[in-house]
Amino acid sequence: MSDRSKTTDGTVRERGADASESARGTEPLLRIEDVHKSYGDEEVLRGIDLEIDRGDVEVLVGPSGSGKSTLLRCLNRLTEVDSGHIYLGETEVTAPDTDPNAVRQQIGMVFQDINLFAHLTARKNVTLGLRKVRGLSAAEARQRADSELDRVGLADQADSYPAQLSGGQKQRVGIARALAMDPEVMLFDEPTSALDPELSNEVLEVMQGLVAEGMTMVVVTHEMRFARGGASEITFLADGEIVERGPPETLFENPEHERTKQFFESIRHE
Amino acid sequence: MEGLVALTELAAALPTGQLLPVSEEQVGQYLGEDWEFVYRNSDYLLWGTVVTILLTLTSILLGFLAGFPAGAIEAYGSGYSRAFVRKFGVLLRGTPILVIMIFTYFVLPIEIVLDAAQFGLRSIEYVLGPTPFTVPTDVPDAFIAATIALGFRSAAYQSQIFRGALGSIDEGQMEAARSIGMSRLSAIRHVIVPQAMRRSVPGFQNEFTIVLKDTSIAFAIGLGELLKRSHDLFTQQTTAVLEVILFISLIYFVLTFGTNRTLDYVSNRFAIPGESS
Repeated sequence: MSDRSKTTDGTVRERGADASESARGTEPLLRIEDVHKSYGDEEVLRGIDLEIDRGDVEVLVGPSGSGKSTLLRCLNRLTEVDSGHIYLGETEVTAPDTDPNAVRQQIGMVFQDINLFAHLTARKNVTLGLRKVRGLSAAEARQRADSELDRVGLADQADSYPAQLSGGQKQRVGIARALAMDPEVMLFDEPTSALDPELSNEVLEVMQGLVAEGMTMVVVTHEMRFARGGASEITFLADGEIVERGPPETLFENPEHERTKQFFESIRHE
Repeated sequence: MEGLVALTELAAALPTGQLLPVSEEQVGQYLGEDWEFVYRNSDYLLWGTVVTILLTLTSILLGFLAGFPAGAIEAYGSGYSRAFVRKFGVLLRGTPILVIMIFTYFVLPIEIVLDAAQFGLRSIEYVLGPTPFTVPTDVPDAFIAATIALGFRSAAYQSQIFRGALGSIDEGQMEAARSIGMSRLSAIRHVIVPQAMRRSVPGFQNEFTIVLKDTSIAFAIGLGELLKRSHDLFTQQTTAVLEVILFISLIYFVLTFGTNRTLDYVSNRFAIPGESS
């Protein structure tokens, strides 16, 4: 764990530069067009447009109820949009004839309440998808799982059950489980909100490691340290709309909108 | 106390190294002729116990085979299937077991039931290939009628156990499974059901005990299970009612206690490490 965090800071910047260069002139990996979603009378997403390039780290921030988690869940169709389109590369995720199970293999998700399979060991949490979805043999799946667990620094906990792990360890297994499917994009839905600050760090370090590896990520978080250090772009949402989007420095130091300014000031005071 | 003294004397009177069989005369001498009567007929009662155990197993099995899918349909199904299962369950739970059993014995044509079972088994074999099972032809009608009555009544209750257990699994488990690309069915099978089965053990434990005790209802349709056979005995020697009833109570107790302990063991054996059950 510690050796990864050491290298993180330097490589983040480098990678950012590489990514923007290679992305120039190519299609964005994720394209969100005019997405609307209502629950009953309440419209939680009011026409979201967003493009995320391969290798980018998009951080979604905003007050609770702003629709950021809903937007994230629309990306892998855990929530269905009411109207609008979402594309992953060439595939339209939201098309009725698109198999959501196929799309979800390409989009990893990490949950706020972690949701490890409670009856399975850390290793089996990771192998289940490989076995039942990818159809790998037991030996192949095990090998893959062990290398993913090693990637999140938990090789020694492979045989532990979720109830025997700390919150931070559990969330790292959750990340390994998603990574094992070899996704093109990783979605993080407030991955540290359920954790003590102390335990958050180990999760954030793993996420920083992914940033350094060039993983495309969409992250809903209140962790401004991560947003500042890891994000390529920050999108500020309020009341189901994108208020402002820009690189971290701009949004933190020099936001255009008064609403954005208020939000960042309010969390700075926390 | 007197009985206890008598028992110790009896034990002392036994030749060393040879505890059994105690002769009927010895029992009669120390415990009285009514206990001697029970002792003489104990094999008759023990065969009744075998019938009771078999009836419990067939009923629980039928209850599981019908009750588990019914619970799954109540938890996940929709439309007509769910409405049908619910109404059938309400009907079964709302009817006394004695009434159900008299219905299955006197009204339900057992031949048709067996033909249906035969057809079902053939269909399964057509799909899966030969199975080692055959539809019984030489089983008494009363046993089949009792199995159907106890089995379907138990299914109506087991379905509620499983429905509750399936519903108690956090929604996040399903979402996490779906998020890695598992189908709904696969998620239910590999993520939800294994956890729900563990949670349904305590309810199942109750149900097992209830079915075991309710096999005695088959007395009403003349099936030679434990209670029927004890009735046969104490009508033969009416002074021995207490002794016979005490004896079969002990057997029922040993059976329920034994199964509960076994299921406790199963529950602990399959408990998820680190979780308090």
